[in-house]
Amino acid sequence: MPETGYPWPIETTRLDNGLRVVVSEDRSAPVVAVNLWYDVGSRHEPDGQTGFAHLFEHLMFEGSVNVAKTEHMKLVQGSGGSLNATTNPDRTNYFETLPSEHLALALWLEADRMGGLVPALTQETLDNQREVVKNERRQRYENVPYGDAWLRLLPLLYPPGHPYHHATIGSMADLNAADLATFQAFHTTYYAPNNAVLTVAGDASADEVFALAERYFGKLVPQPDIPPAPDGRVVPATGSPVRETVTADVPAPRVYLTHRTHPFGGPGYDTLTVLATLLGSGRGSRLYQRLADGARLAQPDSVGAFGVDLAYAPAPLIVTATARDGVTAEQLEAGLVEVLDGLADGVTGAELDRAKALLTTGWWRQLASVDGRADILGRHATQLGDPARAADRLPGWLAVTAEQVTALAAELLRPEDRATLTYLPETQEEAS
Amino acid sequence: MTEPGPILITERPPTGTARPYTFPRVVRKTVAGGNVVAAHLPGHNLAVAVLLLDGGAGREPVGREGLSGVLAKALEEGTTRRDSTAYALALEGLGTELSIASDWDAFQVSVQVQVDRLPAAVELLAEAVRTPRLDPADITRVRDDEVTALRMYWANPGPRADAALRADLFGADQRPGRPMDGDPESVAAVTVDDVTSFHADWLTRLGTLLVVGDLDRIDLDELGTTAFAGASGAAEPPGPPLDVPVRTERRIILVDRPGSVQSTLRLGHPAPHRAHPDYVPMTLAATVLGGAFTSRLNHLIREVRGYTYGIRSEFGHSRRFGRFVVSSGVQTAVTAPALVDAIGEITRTRDAGVTESELAVARAWRAGQLSVELQTPRAIASALATLVVHDLPDDYHATLRERLLSTDEPTVSAAAATHLHPQGLTLVIEGDAALIRDELVASGLGELVDAAG
Repeated sequence: MPETGYPWPIETTRLDNGLRVVVSEDRSAPVVAVNLWYDVGSRHEPDGQTGFAHLFEHLMFEGSVNVAKTEHMKLVQGSGGSLNATTNPDRTNYFETLPSEHLALALWLEADRMGGLVPALTQETLDNQREVVKNERRQRYENVPYGDAWLRLLPLLYPPGHPYHHATIGSMADLNAADLATFQAFHTTYYAPNNAVLTVAGDASADEVFALAERYFGKLVPQPDIPPAPDGRVVPATGSPVRETVTADVPAPRVYLTHRTHPFGGPGYDTLTVLATLLGSGRGSRLYQRLADGARLAQPDSVGAFGVDLAYAPAPLIVTATARDGVTAEQLEAGLVEVLDGLADGVTGAELDRAKALLTTGWWRQLASVDGRADILGRHATQLGDPARAADRLPGWLAVTAEQVTALAAELLRPEDRATLTYLPETQEEAS
Repeated sequence: MTEPGPILITERPPTGTARPYTFPRVVRKTVAGGNVVAAHLPGHNLAVAVLLLDGGAGREPVGREGLSGVLAKALEEGTTRRDSTAYALALEGLGTELSIASDWDAFQVSVQVQVDRLPAAVELLAEAVRTPRLDPADITRVRDDEVTALRMYWANPGPRADAALRADLFGADQRPGRPMDGDPESVAAVTVDDVTSFHADWLTRLGTLLVVGDLDRIDLDELGTTAFAGASGAAEPPGPPLDVPVRTERRIILVDRPGSVQSTLRLGHPAPHRAHPDYVPMTLAATVLGGAFTSRLNHLIREVRGYTYGIRSEFGHSRRFGRFVVSSGVQTAVTAPALVDAIGEITRTRDAGVTESELAVARAWRAGQLSVELQTPRAIASALATLVVHDLPDDYHATLRERLLSTDEPTVSAAAATHLHPQGLTLVIEGDAALIRDELVASGLGELVDAAG
């Protein structure tokens, strides 16, 4: 058993303007990963501005004071690098992996858009990226069967006003209403050095990175009054389950059973992670054994259970399966409920060991690349205050006991705290 | 707020000193009659083993497309030694699962696991591949499950469009003209005998064992002996490259998807096979046209027009055939203008070639991606598979890097002129026909036909 889940060095510093810098050196390949976590996500969006954090992420690739429009992508790819960004309810992150001789370029580009985006932001760019994002919404959520499940689950799990109530992609109406001044203010408010963590992993030393960070980011001005997102840590239980049934153009009935659990980062969420793996990962999992194999209610490739790693409120557990031909949504749901409710009756040591073995491989797989390491470190620095906490994750999973799993199930997965989403095909002829 | 000028460094930093790129040391050996190809990746605590067999989609009979996928599922339904549950628990207890992938040229079964557990994992891998139970009732059930899984997949936009494109390019009566993974009908036609015969024909041969990890902690002889036990039979030649003509006139194939809020585009024509000498300049030309983010297609259709979330072009090659394809999803209302723009950029690239500045980005990106992407055991294993399937030398990736960096503009422009055929494109549009048909007919981009089925 490993003593640590992170056997590479971690060095950190904080610039005078508040920017935290994390470095994890590894010289085994001439590659370096640069990753910025900004502590702003869709949980910060007020009513009427859903989707703004994500649309803003798009604007960050469209040029800044010293980087012309289209140049950002061209410079990174033209240096042999990969790059992208993602936004979720918690945070927005930007990352690139490049041959290491281009490290300074990456830091210069990130500093320029952290400190110099607003003067380069134009109405034309906003209008263009608004259309791109609307097409992203169509492509990923509207034009695929079950594509809007996440959009429907969040309001079932979190009440109006809760920071996780709405989905990051936002509504078409809000996106259409987005104006330039709002985005200029958004950058000024949130894209400040004291609201970000810069992580560099791979072929660079801490001294080198700290000096470059000071050079490129050191004079950026901190933002003293960054408004926090609404506090969502307590979600009052209603004492009664909620459900939504959607009839849509889908090929088979599908059921999602969901619960609010613990925020990512503590022992509670580590337990939840083991529980979800035991329940829904692999052919040896309970769901596969009992619903795909045993009772043959579910399509084998469709069963799953996972926690969504959100840190600022009880994070969701999602349990899902799609009905085999001839099986109704009611039969499938009854099967899922039986398996989920059964967790409180106990789990075996063998089940626990299987889940821990799979999680261990998955952990090392994520850390096999420098980009995977940079993201993990940035997450732990941003959400738990210290990148070194990354080393606790794997030992935390391995320390989970059967009693903790059953206790979590008994406490948090009760039927009265469940939100259920069901999709039904428009025509029932399918089930023949 | 503060003026940003003085607080930012205006000058773009110079490039530092590049460290040399090296592909991991490759070890080849013959064990128990089979070939082991390994790469040394010191310091990683995960290792990957892949049993690479010549039993991909290209070996499937016409009318049974998806057969290798059914076999893949059947391998996990128990072995002559233990039932499916005991097998799953043994494998997952090691922290791994079988990953089975079948493409045109190969059938690959792999495990990724902590290095000290690799021998046990390879034993289980070999047990499933070499001695599966293949109970007829299990085969029938996984076949039916595969039909359902494909029906689920085919409810998404894309598979029907791609099938229409393949059929038009290669002919619906030819294996390359049918979907690589089959469709619900072809998989429904798969019989128990098809599966057991395909196993006997292709999965009992020796094949090649690929191993990536810290070789100081791995015994290749032991792994090879396990993987090749009971196997026999040499490799079969793949057959010559297919001679597929490009259409003389463009055509539009409309696949109806009522209510679709986007039109899914698949535009393509036949292209050379993987071993063609123009492979590198073709790759670079497709990168300039639609590979990189700043490529011509993505720049115009996403970044200028806002018609799409993304659009890309590439040459896809297998051992015997290839194709050029452009893929995108565009808002329904702009379907025809997006097509006009896409064809315009393909035509411009064929006629006027690429510019030196665009090519510089494409070269650096493709070359740099070799070091950026080839970090993990899984990625290196995939690179080894490329060596074996296409019979390439150990220094292939290092050589490829040099070739990418040294290919000049006239060579790439010539490849674009030779291998892009905008006048012979098949334009498949999957979308709401009631909303786009008239516009497509009026566009004059080609004769419109409705997709079969």
